[in-house]
Amino acid sequence: MISKDLFRRPNLPLETLGREGDKAAVPEVSCPGCKRRLPVDELAANLYICPRCRQYHKMSARARIAMVLDEGSFEELDEALVSRDPLRFPDYRHKLEEAGKASGEREAVVTGLGRVEGMRCGFFVMEPGFMMGSMGAAVGEKITRLFERALRERLPVLGYTLSGGARVQEGILSLMQMAKVSGAVRAHSDAGLFYLAVLCDPTTGGVAASFAMQADIILAEPGALIGFAGPRVIEQTTRQTLPEGFQRAEFQLAHGFVGRLSPRESQRALVGLLLRMHTGGAA
Amino acid sequence: MFSKLLVANRGEIAVRIIRACKEMGVQTVAVYSQADREALHVSLADESICIGPAPAPLSYLHQDALLSAALATGCKAVHPGYGFLSENADFADACEQNGLRFIGPSGQVIRQMGNKDAAKRTVAAAGVPTIPGREDLEDIQAARKAAEQVGFPLLIKARSGGGGRGIRRVDSIEDFDHAFREAAQEAKACFGDPGLYIEKLLEGVKHVEVQVLCDTHGHVLCFGERDCSMQRRRQKLVEESPCARLTPTQRRALMRHARQAVHAFQYEGVGTLEFLLDAQGNAYFMEMNTRLQVEHPVTEMVSGIDLVKWQIRVAAGVPLPFQQKDVVSRGHAIECRINAEDPLQDFRPSGGRIDLLHAPGGPWVRFDTALYQGYELPLHYDSLIAKVIVHAPTREEAIRKMQAALCETVIEGVDHTASFQSQLLSEPGFVDGSYTTDYLSQREGSL
Repeated sequence: MISKDLFRRPNLPLETLGREGDKAAVPEVSCPGCKRRLPVDELAANLYICPRCRQYHKMSARARIAMVLDEGSFEELDEALVSRDPLRFPDYRHKLEEAGKASGEREAVVTGLGRVEGMRCGFFVMEPGFMMGSMGAAVGEKITRLFERALRERLPVLGYTLSGGARVQEGILSLMQMAKVSGAVRAHSDAGLFYLAVLCDPTTGGVAASFAMQADIILAEPGALIGFAGPRVIEQTTRQTLPEGFQRAEFQLAHGFVGRLSPRESQRALVGLLLRMHTGGAA
Repeated sequence: MFSKLLVANRGEIAVRIIRACKEMGVQTVAVYSQADREALHVSLADESICIGPAPAPLSYLHQDALLSAALATGCKAVHPGYGFLSENADFADACEQNGLRFIGPSGQVIRQMGNKDAAKRTVAAAGVPTIPGREDLEDIQAARKAAEQVGFPLLIKARSGGGGRGIRRVDSIEDFDHAFREAAQEAKACFGDPGLYIEKLLEGVKHVEVQVLCDTHGHVLCFGERDCSMQRRRQKLVEESPCARLTPTQRRALMRHARQAVHAFQYEGVGTLEFLLDAQGNAYFMEMNTRLQVEHPVTEMVSGIDLVKWQIRVAAGVPLPFQQKDVVSRGHAIECRINAEDPLQDFRPSGGRIDLLHAPGGPWVRFDTALYQGYELPLHYDSLIAKVIVHAPTREEAIRKMQAALCETVIEGVDHTASFQSQLLSEPGFVDGSYTTDYLSQREGSL
């Protein structure tokens, strides 16, 4: 046998384009709906909906901000607030670093103040690229502070939920965020202020079981998975096959957990209208 | 571009793909069976994984093993090479479902081509000539009329037939009625269905194929044709480009047909359209191969375009930076497939240790192989061990160069076909370019 070490490896960087002078190759993604590959910029231009099969792709927090809020109106809050590693959970620090690199965010939620069609509101949006929007102490704290700020300024809150649930690496500290955020939502609600949630794919676990379902009006994106335990867990626990479309937004609409489905094309207008109708004195 | 790619093949083609990847800075993962531990592609790749025992169904055809190897090593794409799983639609689908780019067309397109009849109808609808025939034969009068339109000689075949039964050759209209009745009776007796169809009998034909390269942005490039008529029991032995007997007008028509066919299928990647070429130079579409072919170097030599690298690039979404007018065939290229078979004993496969290896060299001589001195050649797989490819300004010079290269090729330890091909290349039937697909069977008959 010829030893592997006999062949030296050519020290060549990965080629990024076809030939000299060409444009760089267009980055592509594979659509989970129709399995076809499509250029990322084409997807972005179509609000991250597959132009062929209408599958909704996940949107980053920043892309949401650009889609929903009035241009230049966003003012970020608590951007430096991040989770540490209180339990010294194996590999957690490394995971946080990787998530930061992958998403360009410092935590799994972005909060702040902004305007939708001129209506000022508190705004939060969860980031799928950061550990699939999982909720640790920092996520809970940022959302709590947002509701407290909105209460002080008597502003409605518009929230985009997208999360796999509580973050296991922070254990019980993650779980208690459910109670903490719920308290802040309650105080905001008791003051007669409006909270509108848009449930994105996926909204599950501790997030679904707390502030996602506590909004005055709950919208959901078509096809979004919404539930506490995911369908795979339920199937494995109950040993039963679940019906097609179980826990999807359409299913939850039919069963009364969701107020209305909101396609992305008309979402900004709908959200703007609801904020206008439900914000005291603005009508 | 893919950062890492799994090569789901072995032998010279695995080596060819790994070489292309090395130039592009793409990391490679080789897979191998227990019989291939010492194979060259294993040493040449950045990483290697054993995927099972020697028999191909347990290793190189074992889809789950290949997918696991690709996912475990963090590959982004899978190159199937030729043979094995290269035209397996289910494997192409399985790759995509696991987030791996299958380097080839989609499973749907592969499936479409796999159904030869449907593929033929699709290209016929696009205006490409296929072997003339008629299926709508209601009664003997209609059949007679159809036969006269198709022309003689023709074949009457059973609609539900197979295995050569129910087939009648008819040379003139006088014999038609009798043959038709007989064929119908036989078809009913054998297959329970008296339904027949007729097809023109093509004799003394050349097997000519057109290489195409299509990107994911709708660009289609047709390369010059290859003449692959030198075949033994449907196994190609010598290929050349261009075809010596094709006139410029016929070549233009062939390229136009190839283009029409590719558009009809909305094809992506590299592929080859196979045609039969009759003595008058009429081309009839046979089928399309949806993969890289053994003889692709012939086209690389005359076009100067690295087909394997471009196959990988278009799979990565890179648009083709050249147009049809930039694809120019220069000179003449010939390839000889050296098989480990004994020509003196009815081409019986031969295995053993390679005691001595000397590769041919010199300008415009290419030697694609996975052999090395001391290598123990296993008997489990295809007998192709090396390809000698030459390029020269004229056909005459290319034949001379190939003769010289074959004589310089020394592979000791196994029986092989190099001297047989050397003999073939000196025969008048090859030298004048008139050889057809039945050349070797007629030659064997006359020996």
